Amino acid sequence: MSHYDDLGSSDPSGPFGAVTGQAASDDAAAATVLEARGIERSYKIGGRSLGILHGVELELRRGERLALMGSSGAGKTTLLNILGLLDRPNSGTVRIQGVSAWDLDHNERAALRNRSIGFVFQFYHLLAELDAVENVMLPAMIGLPRSEYRSRRKELRGHAREMLERFGLGDRLSHRPGEMSGGEQQRVAIARALILDPPILIADEPTGNLDSATGERVLELLLDEQGRRGTSLLLVTHDERLAHRCQRIVRMQDGRVATE
Amino acid sequence: MFKTFLSLRYLRARRTNWIGVAGIFVAVAALILILSIMSGFLAESRRHLRGNLSDIAITPIDLPIEHGGAPSRDLERMLEIIEADPRVVAAAPQLVWYGLLTPPGAERAMQRPMQEAITLVELVGVDLEREVKVTSFGDSLREDLRLPTAGRPRNPDDPFKLPAGYRRSGAYKPPMIVGEQLGYVWSLRKGDEVPILTATVDKATREVNDTPSNKTFVVTGTFRSGENEMDLQRAYFDRRDLADFLALNEEGDRDFSTILVKLVDYERDKEAVRVDLYERLHEAGFLHAPDSSYREITTWEDRRQSLLRAIENERVLMAIMLILVLVVAGFTVFAILSMMVTEKRRDIGILCALGATQRGVMALFLLIGAWQALLGSALGAFFGIWGAIEIDNIEQWLSRVLGIQIFNREVYYFDHIPSVVDPRGVTLIVAFAVFLTLLFAVLPAWRAARLNPVDALRYE
Repeated sequence: MSHYDDLGSSDPSGPFGAVTGQAASDDAAAATVLEARGIERSYKIGGRSLGILHGVELELRRGERLALMGSSGAGKTTLLNILGLLDRPNSGTVRIQGVSAWDLDHNERAALRNRSIGFVFQFYHLLAELDAVENVMLPAMIGLPRSEYRSRRKELRGHAREMLERFGLGDRLSHRPGEMSGGEQQRVAIARALILDPPILIADEPTGNLDSATGERVLELLLDEQGRRGTSLLLVTHDERLAHRCQRIVRMQDGRVATE
Repeated sequence: MFKTFLSLRYLRARRTNWIGVAGIFVAVAALILILSIMSGFLAESRRHLRGNLSDIAITPIDLPIEHGGAPSRDLERMLEIIEADPRVVAAAPQLVWYGLLTPPGAERAMQRPMQEAITLVELVGVDLEREVKVTSFGDSLREDLRLPTAGRPRNPDDPFKLPAGYRRSGAYKPPMIVGEQLGYVWSLRKGDEVPILTATVDKATREVNDTPSNKTFVVTGTFRSGENEMDLQRAYFDRRDLADFLALNEEGDRDFSTILVKLVDYERDKEAVRVDLYERLHEAGFLHAPDSSYREITTWEDRRQSLLRAIENERVLMAIMLILVLVVAGFTVFAILSMMVTEKRRDIGILCALGATQRGVMALFLLIGAWQALLGSALGAFFGIWGAIEIDNIEQWLSRVLGIQIFNREVYYFDHIPSVVDPRGVTLIVAFAVFLTLLFAVLPAWRAARLNPVDALRYE
């Protein structure tokens, strides 16, 4: 619990330093940033219980690239939602840097998700009403208290711009998602996932909606940033070639981890 | 932080939001405008309803007072007691009776065949000097153009002065001032001699005398109080002349029926003065005990209660109807926000994934409703107030453009559309509009907050 408290804004160094600094200071927790134990999940459909996950065990170590593979219906998305703290498992624990996330209350869990996990979705999921820079700044806007956000807005904006420029989107800063190509949108989404420098990056088929050349460039960018920052990456994919660029591949079958 | 930012962005991006703003705007503006005009009408009507009534009237009832015998008839003493109160400006006695007025000449009755040959008139005897201090009688005296012998400005100091050129025939005929409407209906002129017939009551037996009294008066002018009934059915006399006519001119006769009182600040003191005067006048043997069933002291509002209530009721009804308009505007906001929540399912899922709390999502959609409410009611307040102030010019412009008379000035006593902007009312309307809109926004916002992010993100 004390671990989680340190993630809060009480740390004057802000979210960037707070999360990574804390992780580095604690060797035991640092080794494993994300840990799932005995995850069970079933849905009730028409009075009958349909089991999706049957005791999934998974570990994601610091700086590690992990590919999660499996045919559709194997429970990848469900597992991802549980690991991303969007869906509550029926039983089992999810620990993020040692904090049992599903034991937190709703607001604390939302804050943990905000600071510790960056999402990259297959369909980019940018907000249509915001331009590229605003989309990238959204996690900071959500997570920081009003006064802190106000005082750091310039700095954050500069940070977002700089990242987008580095991603080759220097001339797209004030464009809205509707005015950008799929590859460009996905790069904005990656910048958004990284703005608060979270220890965990969850990417769900990040190139699934892009042509192979674009997909390759986006993937390159993603892996590049991940390596440079030492972020742990959980990559969900169908693509063997993509999976082989990860250090470890976990295959799922019928709601269980089949091979590692 | 994202709530303010994003709610403004959503507000701007979706055109449908302006329908909500427009609905609230129209409702608030209409509420303010119409209630201002109603208040204006009420104020104006009160003025007209009041006519020449005084703030407070004390009407002693001529029945034995508990343990005290007959009420005292010492008018001087009574006026003294009343005027000793620092909250009282002045008091004036009136003698009120009823009489039948007959037309002054057969040929003039022929000119107006629609009129009956006789009319009931309230005969009011006043002490001129005191009366002008207490009621608007002095101001209501008219230099009446309808009376052809007029020509010089009326001298309010002596309205009972017989007109120049009047030559009486026979015995002395006392003067009278008739209501403007009465004078118009009967085609009265200054100097006309009008016979009045009345019944008197025997002082000893309290029975109506068998033979009616009959006397001829001379019209010396007219008055216009603004209250139709008064202007049609009232005639003023010098109190002594009327007392003579009614045979109340002997020592010890009760030659007044009512004491009129004017207060320094009527709205502030009306109740307190009523209570205090009751107490004092009872002690002095003029009135019955304050807790008796007699209502001997009344305010002018008491005397016009039914009409005043009718106007007030009308205003309340109008307010209720207009609040329904506001409710409809609230429904619009509800519909717009519900649509938006459905449309923005994916966005809500994204926000959750990025770390927004349920409370944050709820606040986001509530804020969108709040902006609509604030914007709509601010615009509504501005244009409502502007409209209420400029209603006359707007009406004239509209009448000109449309070529029809919207406000027929001949129907009403007033030559402009009255309107009174009440700042407290405006504040109340705006606060209520915002509150109501937020109430309507709660349900869709709550629905948004309850949305499962997994479901929200599932489909493209």
